[in-house]
Amino acid sequence: MIDGLDKYAHLRSSLHRWDPRYKLVGLITLMFAFSFVQDLRLLPAMLAVTSGLYAASRMPLAFLLTRLRTPGVFVIVVAILWPFISGTTVIARIGPLSLRQEGTLAMGLIVVKFISILTISLVLFGTAPFLTTIKALRALGLPPILGDMTLLAYRYLYEIGNDLKTMERAMGLRGFRAQWLSSRALGVLASLAGTMLVRSYEQSERVYKAMILRGYGHSSHPRDQFHRMVCIRAHPRDWAGLVGVFLVAAGFVAMEIWLRGSGG
Amino acid sequence: MHIPDGILPITISAAGYATSGAATWYSLRKIGQKENAQASVPKASLLTAAFFVASWIHIPVPPTSVHLVLNGLLGAVLGYYAFPAILIGLFFQAVMFQHGGLTTLGVNATMMGVPALLAFFIFRLRRVVGKESRWAVGLFGFLAGAAGLGIAALIAWGLLINTIPAHLDVEAERASIYALTLAHMPLIVLEGIFTALVALFLHRVKPEILED
Repeated sequence: MIDGLDKYAHLRSSLHRWDPRYKLVGLITLMFAFSFVQDLRLLPAMLAVTSGLYAASRMPLAFLLTRLRTPGVFVIVVAILWPFISGTTVIARIGPLSLRQEGTLAMGLIVVKFISILTISLVLFGTAPFLTTIKALRALGLPPILGDMTLLAYRYLYEIGNDLKTMERAMGLRGFRAQWLSSRALGVLASLAGTMLVRSYEQSERVYKAMILRGYGHSSHPRDQFHRMVCIRAHPRDWAGLVGVFLVAAGFVAMEIWLRGSGG
Repeated sequence: MHIPDGILPITISAAGYATSGAATWYSLRKIGQKENAQASVPKASLLTAAFFVASWIHIPVPPTSVHLVLNGLLGAVLGYYAFPAILIGLFFQAVMFQHGGLTTLGVNATMMGVPALLAFFIFRLRRVVGKESRWAVGLFGFLAGAAGLGIAALIAWGLLINTIPAHLDVEAERASIYALTLAHMPLIVLEGIFTALVALFLHRVKPEILED
């Protein structure tokens, strides 16, 4: 169910070498700048920046396409429906349906922004081990409880996911087939969910005791931990990368404001 | 139910981050007031992972199957940890499965997490009737589950209908609201029944999970 988001984290590229803290701040700023864009004339530049960044990450194109497949269903629905239901200016008629200009343009905007932001997020999380990125988030000031919960939940997600598979297989072997919505089927599935919660709860008590034994609750500052665990110190090139991305993001925002102001 | 990147205007995304920031702050403050807050962290984390996995369970609704949101149940079980748990769950969804998105994380967390907190308060009301009563656990479990999804769906429709970039014509808008309302009603009831069944299971097998 979970396939490696960070399976290309071992590659060597300038994006892989970029300090994850700077990468987080820079690329998230860029995503928000993209999300600010409403003018269609900026879309080619957006696609160019996105493809440039993805190419620089040296991750294979097939990886991006696989990742785009699941959410792509939603985009396809929007892309098909929008031009017909949204807008007032009819540009073509197909039987009883009217293709509307506003809807078609809005669809283009949504699809390009969606693909660009998703690709940037893949570059952000695909070019460093996921745990390193979470530790970088902690070093950037994520509250300790949120940081600990994220790390622990991530650690046990695979395990609990495998538990669910095992239990479902065991139920199947004992003759359970959820084909119809019946009170019995619902009861059995509720017990399955309940059992998973009980098992996780009991496991969490053992995990807590183990954590206490290892000194949980007496840790140093997250920034120092980050340096110790990841062995990364900011380099001038990390700053240069951040400034570069900030300039690109600011360029998009400035162009958008200028284009809106010029009434185009 | 997850709003993806690229659809909402940035003002709404920013407002989503502001509200989810406020809800996280409120939840963490309430958690911090507990006597031994750190002891609950592993419990909340593993249950976060378990809820994430439990939402993969498919419920047969011929001719297809649906998966449940379980935010009402999550609120009932995790209490003040519900909002951080949902934030983390949605973060995983966005980065691992590309469901939802990072720019809309705040909006999605508010949409799912605030109803989860409300579900927690609703489920806590069972104390008025009597904490040990199975009847009360079932009834308030149902209400928490149904309210969790129902309020989330209302927020989602409100956002989508009011912030759609092009101008939807009024008829299409009204038709879509009715269609979505009708489509969600059975799911809200199903979510309520499922939450009640799981709450009754926990009440019977491991009542301390429902302690908070």
